[in-house]
Amino acid sequence: MSENVLVVENLATTFHTKGGPVPAVGGVSFSLGPNETLGIVGESGSGKTVLSRTIMGLQPRTNVEVTGSVLLNGHQMVGVSEDEKRKHWATEVAMVFQDPMTSLNPVMRVGKQIDEVLRVRLGMPKDAAKARAIELLRLVGIPSPEERYSAYPGQLSGGMRQRVVIAIALACSPSLLMADEPTTGLDVTIQAQILNLIEQIKNDLNMSVILVTHDLGVVATRTTRLIVMYAGRIVEIGTTRDVFKDHRMPYTRALLESSPRVSNASHTRLQAIPGRPPNLLKLDQGCAFAPRCAFATQKCHEERPELEETGTPGHLFACWNPLTTKIGA
Amino acid sequence: MSNETAVSQVDKPEKRDPLGPLFWVCVGWATLTILASLLANWLPIESPITQDYTALNQGPTLHHLLGTDDLGRDILARIIFGGRISIGVGFGAMAIGFGIGAPLGMLTAYRRGRLDTIVTSVMYMLLAFPAIIATIAILSFWVPRALPKIIVVIGLASVPLVYRVIRTATLNVAAKDYVVAAKVQGASDRRILLKELLPNIFPIAISFLLIGIATVISLEGALAFLGLSVNPPTPSWGNMINEARTVLSTDPWLVIFPSLALCLFLLCLNFIGDRLRSYFDVTEVKL
Repeated sequence: MSENVLVVENLATTFHTKGGPVPAVGGVSFSLGPNETLGIVGESGSGKTVLSRTIMGLQPRTNVEVTGSVLLNGHQMVGVSEDEKRKHWATEVAMVFQDPMTSLNPVMRVGKQIDEVLRVRLGMPKDAAKARAIELLRLVGIPSPEERYSAYPGQLSGGMRQRVVIAIALACSPSLLMADEPTTGLDVTIQAQILNLIEQIKNDLNMSVILVTHDLGVVATRTTRLIVMYAGRIVEIGTTRDVFKDHRMPYTRALLESSPRVSNASHTRLQAIPGRPPNLLKLDQGCAFAPRCAFATQKCHEERPELEETGTPGHLFACWNPLTTKIGA
Repeated sequence: MSNETAVSQVDKPEKRDPLGPLFWVCVGWATLTILASLLANWLPIESPITQDYTALNQGPTLHHLLGTDDLGRDILARIIFGGRISIGVGFGAMAIGFGIGAPLGMLTAYRRGRLDTIVTSVMYMLLAFPAIIATIAILSFWVPRALPKIIVVIGLASVPLVYRVIRTATLNVAAKDYVVAAKVQGASDRRILLKELLPNIFPIAISFLLIGIATVISLEGALAFLGLSVNPPTPSWGNMINEARTVLSTDPWLVIFPSLALCLFLLCLNFIGDRLRSYFDVTEVKL
C-alpha cells in the first residue's frame, strides 16, 4: 500500500465551557490508506461528529482547543490558518452532511452550486463548469441532469438532494470523502441507494471514505475497518470483520447486541445498554465505560486502559478485562 | 370538451396570485403617494405656501379639493409636499440605519468572537435607552433644524434595531449546513457573506426595511407634533397635524386629511412588508 491519505495522531478537541473543559475528543490516533473505507461508530454524544469536524478543521472560532496532528496527504490541518486549510478543502477532502434538507442553499439553483465550486476552485470557464456540473449530476444518478441543473433544492426530493450534495463533494475529485451520517435524514430504501452510490464512486474515483454513523447495519458490509468510539476516545479499532466477530471490548458487544437482527425471533427484546453516556465534564480517571460495564472490576474504576494490540495485528482495544469468546462466528 | 374543462380546473390554482389583490392595492397606493411627492413640482397643484385670502379655513370645495387652513393654504398641496419630508425621512433614515446596522450585523454574526461580544453589548445598551428621548434631546439643542439633521439623528437611532434583526437572521442562517458546506468547498468569507448569507436573510431584511420606514415616518410625525421636525412653513404630515390640532373642533378636515395620508401610507407599508415576509417564509414549508 502506498502512503496513507490521512494520519491522525493524538488528536484532542476540548471545548472550554462555563462548567469547565469538555474533552469531546481525547487522544485519538488512526490512519487511513488509499481507497479504504473506515467506519466510525458510537452512540450519540460519543464524539463521532466532533472528531469528523475536527479532522476537517471545522471548529467553532471560540472556546475550543485542538491539539495533536492531522496529516492530510502530508499536509498538517491542525493549528494552521483558515486560508491554509482552504487550499485543501474540496480538492483533497470533501464532506457530505447529515441532513440534505439543510446542506444546500435554498435560494441558489443546484447546478449553480456545483459549478461555483468548479469555477472558484479550479478556475474553470463558465461553459466548461456547466458541462462538468451536468456530468457530475449524471454521475450521481440524477435523471435528466440538464433539467435538474436549473432546479432549486426545494424542487428535489431528499434522496435527490443528497445526490446533489455528493456531486458537489466530488466536484474537485478529493482523495478523501468524509460522510457524517449521510443517510440519517433519508428513508430506508434511499439509504441503501445513497450508500451504494458512495461505495461505487469510491471505487471508480479511487477515493478513501470515512463513514460516520450510529447505524451498525450501514458499516457492516461497506467498510474495511471500523473504529468504535466512547466518550470521545477510541475503545476498539480493527478490520470490520474483527470488530464484528471477535470484539474484545464489552462496549462493542453491548453496542452490537443493542441493534436488531433479522436472525432474532420476532418480538425479541433488544438488549439496551444500562445507564447513560457519561458526562464529559465529570470523567474520572478510570475507564469511561466502567460505570455501565457488566465486567468492570476495581481496576477499571481507577485506571484508564490504553489502546493495545493483542493477538490480531491492527486490532486494538482499550480494556482491562477483554472478552475472549467469539460470538456468532 | 369535458376534458378541456377538467384541464382548466386543474390549472387554476397554480395561477392564483399568492400575494393577494390587497397586496397590489397597497403597492399601488404606496407608489402613488411616493410618485406624487416626488413629482410635486410638476403636478397641477398650488405651492404649499401660497396663501389664498379669498378662502380661509374653508372645507373641501371644487377649487381646494381638501380645503384650506387658517392662512388659506391648499391642504392637498401641503399633503403632497409634506409627503416629501415624511417619506424622505423614512427612506433616508432607514438607508443610514441599514447602511451601518446591516453590514455590521452580518459581519459580527458570521465572525463571532470578541468583536461580536463587544459590538452586540454596545448595541443592546443603546437599545435599552429609549430612542425617542434621545432624538428629542438631540433635536432640541441641534438648531437650526433641517431635514438632513433629522434624517441623520433618526437614522443613527435606528442602527441598533437594524443590527439586532440582521444579526439574529444571520446567526440563524450561518448555523445551517449549507454555509459550512460552502466553507469546506473552499469559499472565501466574502463569498459566503454575499452569496450564501445575504440572499437568505434578504426576505427578512426587506420586510423589516418596509416596516422600519413606516415606524420612522410615524416617529417623524411624533417629533413634528412636538415641534421638533422641519421648521414652518415647510409642511410635513406630522407638523400639519400639530398645527391643526388647536382647531380640531371647528375645522376637523385640517387634521383628518393629513392623518389619513399618514395612516394609509403606513398601513400600506406595513401590509406589504408583512405579506412579503410570509410569502418568502412559506417557500420551504410549501414544498
